[in-house]
Formats: sequence, structure tokens, C-alpha cells
Amino acid sequence: MARQQGWIAFILALAIASGALLATYGLQLGLDLRGGSQLTLQVMPAGAITKVETEQLEAVKDVLERRINGLGVAESTLQTVGSDQLVLQLPGEQNPGRAAKVLGSTALLEFKAQKPGTEKEMQGLLRLKRQAEAVLAAKRPQPTSTDSGLPAPPPKPKLAPEDLARSLRSLGLTVPEGSSESDQIELLLAEVNHRIVGLYGPTLLTGKDLTNAGRQQKATGNFWDVTLGFNREGGEKFATLTQSIAGSGRLLGIVLDGRSISEASVGEEFKAAGIAGGAASITGNFTADEARDLEVQLRGGSLPLPVKIVEVRTIGPSLGAENIRTSLLAALSGLALVAVFMVVVYRLPGLVSVLALSLYALYNLAVYSLIPVTLTLPGIAGFILSVGMAVDANVLIFERVKEELRSGNTLIRSIDTGFARAFSSIFDGHITGLISCSALFFLGTGLVKGFAVTLAIGLLLSLFTALTCTRSLLRLLMSYPALRRPTYFVPAAQLPASVL
Amino acid sequence: MPDSSAAAIPVRYMRISRHRRLAWIASAIGCGLSVLGLVLCWLNPAIASPLKPGLDFTGGTQIQVERLCQSACGELSVAELQKRLNSLSLPAIPGEITPNLSSTSVQVLDGGRSLLLRLPALSADQSTELIEGLTSVTGPLKSTGTSVNTIGPTLGSRLLRGSIISLLVSFAAIAVYISFMYNGVFAFLALLCLAHDVLITCGVFAWLGLLQGIEVDSLFAVSLITVAGYSVTDTVVIYDRIREQRKLLADLPLIDQVDVAVDATLTRSIYTSLTTLLPLMGLLFFGGSSLFWFAVALIVGIAVGSWSSIGLAPTLLPVLSRR
Repeated sequence: MARQQGWIAFILALAIASGALLATYGLQLGLDLRGGSQLTLQVMPAGAITKVETEQLEAVKDVLERRINGLGVAESTLQTVGSDQLVLQLPGEQNPGRAAKVLGSTALLEFKAQKPGTEKEMQGLLRLKRQAEAVLAAKRPQPTSTDSGLPAPPPKPKLAPEDLARSLRSLGLTVPEGSSESDQIELLLAEVNHRIVGLYGPTLLTGKDLTNAGRQQKATGNFWDVTLGFNREGGEKFATLTQSIAGSGRLLGIVLDGRSISEASVGEEFKAAGIAGGAASITGNFTADEARDLEVQLRGGSLPLPVKIVEVRTIGPSLGAENIRTSLLAALSGLALVAVFMVVVYRLPGLVSVLALSLYALYNLAVYSLIPVTLTLPGIAGFILSVGMAVDANVLIFERVKEELRSGNTLIRSIDTGFARAFSSIFDGHITGLISCSALFFLGTGLVKGFAVTLAIGLLLSLFTALTCTRSLLRLLMSYPALRRPTYFVPAAQLPASVL
Repeated sequence: MPDSSAAAIPVRYMRISRHRRLAWIASAIGCGLSVLGLVLCWLNPAIASPLKPGLDFTGGTQIQVERLCQSACGELSVAELQKRLNSLSLPAIPGEITPNLSSTSVQVLDGGRSLLLRLPALSADQSTELIEGLTSVTGPLKSTGTSVNTIGPTLGSRLLRGSIISLLVSFAAIAVYISFMYNGVFAFLALLCLAHDVLITCGVFAWLGLLQGIEVDSLFAVSLITVAGYSVTDTVVIYDRIREQRKLLADLPLIDQVDVAVDATLTRSIYTSLTTLLPLMGLLFFGGSSLFWFAVALIVGIAVGSWSSIGLAPTLLPVLSRR
């Protein structure tokens, strides 16, 4: 008897603790339930690295984390998935375009000097580049309200179709069938930038030597520059680099991710010592947003390996609310039906099992908030299924108890034997369930994992509640003689006369 | 029948072995129809795989938007939407060809209230632009009711590979566990039942794909794995009873031991399927569109799983154990 009371006290204490846990920490809802964006980034092997190792994945994650902090999105989480993927969750974010752009680029900044004897070719390329950029800028949607009050834009520059076609041909490009003018200009620009990079010598300085990055608005127009601060070593390298080309007519190239973003001439006056002082700025005619994004990327450092965005999921918050309402309704209505079924079929023990199953649901939710498990739609499905398995444990036990009663055993003995005999089948069933769960958890991806976690928690708790809660509660009730009637368990017609 | 053991055998009970031919034929027909469905799906040039793969496996972008309408939403013409899509020029990504929108599939849902678009993979920027471009045809959209999913083709194949590997590994682990707790024949039959259940569930979806255009997504992979786990759990409970009867009725032939065990667990098997199916029915009727087909897959799989654990594994056990 004392042992029973000990168990009951333990179960009650657990229930109170669970309630307190839930009230304090609440449940973490996944993006499919609350709305937001989720980006999956694949880290790509590059250069000498053919397989992404854990350290490299972590290094990529560090850089991305710094960039995300720079973007200032609240409550974002970045997690590694598998051996070479990262998942970024941005709750509440409806427009992941900007995050995708900032995170997706490597941001490898390189400073190079133009090779001697290439001045003429460079001039031609730069002319083409200016032309193409001007046409593209004119095609862009007109600046929004923040830019009002500025002088009207100059007349739209144009690039005649035949000029464009000639330029493309001169660079050895074939125009894809049916491509639009913007596409062709983008193609031209990409090739021009590629060729400009080809005219530079080796990399003399990289973004690694940066200590700071900032941005400032230009005195004229609505464009921004990105300012750079170097460490001592970087400052010296930069001085040497600028000194080597000062006054020669050759250009200083600033290359981001293999794309030439700025070409600068260095005046005669720096011939003596180069540009010293460890500071520089990139004049790339950036818009305010572009300048800020570049600043965030440069501050975060360049990615050790390139990443590719392989998945973007965005769910509106009202869709999320709809999902949670319908899933909750589904779960509750299903549980209510199960409760009715148990009481009708199993009578008194059925009632006990409903109580035990309610505790089971409470414990489950408490464990979700403790670990914490982020609840997603498949997670809720896993929970509903685990309820089915928990009920199965109770059904197995009560069927056994009924059998014992039918064969003429006394009530208390029937209950004890029922639990003892049902144990091995409950145990085997739960173990095979857990085996599937662990395969799903360790080998599956996102959705599948969420399902496996809730199902596994459910199975473990169901072992506990079926064998402890149901049993202790039933034995507690059996200590009241008024309740100790076999007909509360089995219809009288099925019982042998000796028991009645 | 000797008196000593008669005490443990119920006076009246269902002898599953008497109906075993019927059970085998029913299962064979089910498997045959499923294989036929899978093959027809594969031969269908529009599908060209055993099941119609959804966005999760093919890669691409799926956009769902909800229109903001006062009381009733105006008529929407799919042709007009298609025309609008073709006229859109999306922001280009340097070095990549802008996706062609003419193959977009447009689906109007909820009587014109929401729209579902399936497109080639778009970048986040391009999706935003596209949604803005749509408003000239659809009118204003509810900003909180938009969902955009973009999945790269590599991710789809990775998901598929992950699902298949986890399924196979869990099969192997379960087989090892059962061979260890029972014996090899039990393990083989449990896996046979499991394959039977998974095959028929797939078959139902192959037919649904053929006739209704239903696609399978990653949730379907989850449901298959669940069905596998459930099927084994269900079978193991009956195995447990057979093992017990083999000790209690040691002098009877295996076929009788099995019959007694199946009869004793029959009520439990039916009740358990019912209590598992009840919450799933809730999911089916109230779970909303996102979980509807998931619930269908689970209900089919669990119903078939209960069947095979009663009608297939126990009836084949004496046949295979004789050798």
C-alpha cells in the first residue's frame, strides 16, 4: 500500500512540475505554425577541398552568424544539418530575398594591380562596362520615396541592339535564343568583369587584413561608398600596392568573389610612399542597401567555402495560425473519440486509462518545452500517432485482465497477472517503434526528424505511463472495497459464476 | 485432443488457419494491383516514375497566395494569369538564365480565394517580384497569407535518398531485433508483412497519382516509415502471444498454437487499430489541407498493417517453419 502511495505522489509531483514547466517556458512553435522564412544553405566543396569537414562547416557557420547579426533579424537561428548543410530560420520574416543575397555570396575581397601593357584593352573593357551599367541602372525601378527631392535623372542612356550584338560577338559570346535585352546586357557585363579580372596580376591583399568596414554617402547623387580599415600589415601591403602603380596609368582592381567591383587609378603624388594610413574606400556607385549589405559581408569576413541556397520556405503568419488551429482541433477531437471508446469498452479501467493518458499528454508537452522540441506539423502528427501507441499499451493490459477474469481468477490477481503478462508484448512493440525512430532521427532530414523526435518521446513516456500511472491509479482505486467489483471490468455475462 | 491441453484452449475460437487461402489470395490481389499501379505510373509519360513526385522531390518553387476580397472574390481566369506570368520580366541573377515561366501550373483554390503556382526554381527576389506582378490580375493579396517554397533539385534527391536509407536501416535493425528475440523465420515474415504494407500503401498512391494527380511529398515518406514501424509493432504483439502459447501448448502442432494465439489477440488487434485510426480520422477531417494526404497514407497503411499482422504473418508461420 505504501508503495502505491509513493508512486501516486511521484506521479502527482511530475504532473505539477510539468504544468509549471509549460507555464514558464511554453512551447516552441516551428515556422510552419507561426509563419516566417527558412533557408537551407549547402556548403560547396571548392579548390583543394573535395569533402566538407566539420571544422569547415563550423567556420562557415561562424561567418554566417556574424552576417546575420549584422542584418539585425530578431530570434533567428542557424543550425548545421548533416555534414554539409546549414538551416537558417527567420521567424516572422516574409521577404527572405535580402537575407538570401547577403548570406549566399562568399564575399572574398581581393586587391590586385593591373598587369603592365594591358592599358589599351582595359580602356575598351571599361568603356563597355560603363555603358552596360548605365543602361541597367536606367532600367531599374525608379528610386522610392526616400530618394525624393533629388534632381531628375538624366535622359535614359541607350544601347542600340546592333551595338549590343556587336559587343557581345567581339567578346566571343553567343546570345541565347529568345533572351531579353536585360539578360544580354547582364551576360555582357559578367564577361567584361571576368575579362577585367584577367588583366590583373596576382592578389596582393585580401579581406582578411580588414579590421573594419563602413559606408558613407557620396557628396553628390544618391550613391554610397564602402569604407575599409586595414590592420597594420594590411595597411603596409596596401601602401606597397598603390606605390607600385602610382602615376603609371595602370589601375588598382578591387575584386569581390571573382567579379571586378571597382577600378581605381592611383595619382602621381603617391609615387613616394603609396597610399598610407591603412584606410581606403570602394567607389562602386552602390545604393544604400547594397552598401550596407557589402559592409555586413566584409565585417563578417569571407566564407572559407562557397555556399549555395538550396531551399527557401516562406509561410505567412495567418497560414501558420490556420495550421495550428486545425491540427489542434484534429488532435483534440481524435483524443476525445479515443476517450469515449475506452470508457465504453473497458468501463472502470477505461476511465483510469483516460486519466493516465491525459497525464501522458501533459508529460509529453512538458518534455517538448524542456528539451526544447520545436513543434512542427509533422511533429504534431508524430504526437498523435504516439497517442495511438500509448492507448495500445492500455488495450493490451486490459484485454489480459479480462482474460484472467473470464478464466475465473480473482480481481486483484487478474489485474496483477494482466500487467505482468502484457509487459513483454508492450515492451517488444515499443522497442521496435523506437528502432524505427532512431533510424529516422539519425538518417532523416528536417521534417522527418521532427516527426521522429515526438514519436520517440511519446513511446518512451508511454512505456512509463502504461506501466506506472495506469497501474498505480488502478491499484489505488482497488483499495476501496466498493469499487472492487469484477462487473466494473467485464460484462457479467462473460464472467464464470464462481467470480460473481 | 488430449485433456491436459484442452483446458488452455478456448471452447469456441476462430481458427485463422482455416481461412488462410482466402487471406493469401486477398493479399496477393492487393499486391498485384499495387504493382500494376506503380508500373502504369512508370509507363505514363507524364509521370515516368513509380509515384508522382511532388515539389519536395523534383525541386522548383511553389507559391501560394491568398486574395484580399471583401465578401466574394471576383472571377479569376487561369489563361489571363498565364498571360500575365509570361509578360513578367524577373530580376536576373548574374550568370544564370532567367527561368522560363510559360510552363507554370496555376491552380485556383477555395473558389478563387487562393492560388497555387508551381514554377521552376526561383530566387527569393524573383518570387517576391512575381507575387507583386500577379496583383494586377488578382487584385490585392493578403500579406500574411502567402507561402513560398523553393527547393533545389539536389535537395529533393537528397531527401529521397535519406528517406530510403533510413527505411532500409530501420528494416535491418528490426530484423536483427526479432531474430534475436524470436528466430529467423519470425523476422523474415515480419519483414514480408512490412514490405506488403508499404507496397500496398505505395500502390494506393500510385493509383491516386494516376487518377487524381495526387503527388507524394516528404510527408509521404514519413508516413511510409511510420507504417513500417506500426506494422512491425502490430506483428510483434501477436508473435509474443505465439511464443507464450508454444510454451503452454507445447504438445500441439504449431498451426494450433498459432490459431489460439491469433484468436486471443484478435480483440486487441482490432481495438488497437481502431484507437490508432480514430486520431488519424480526426486529422483527416479537421487537419486541414496540408495534412490530408498524410492522414490518408497513414490510415491506409495502418489498416493494411493490421490485416497483415492477423491474416498473413501467423498463417505463413507454420508453412515456413515446417522446413
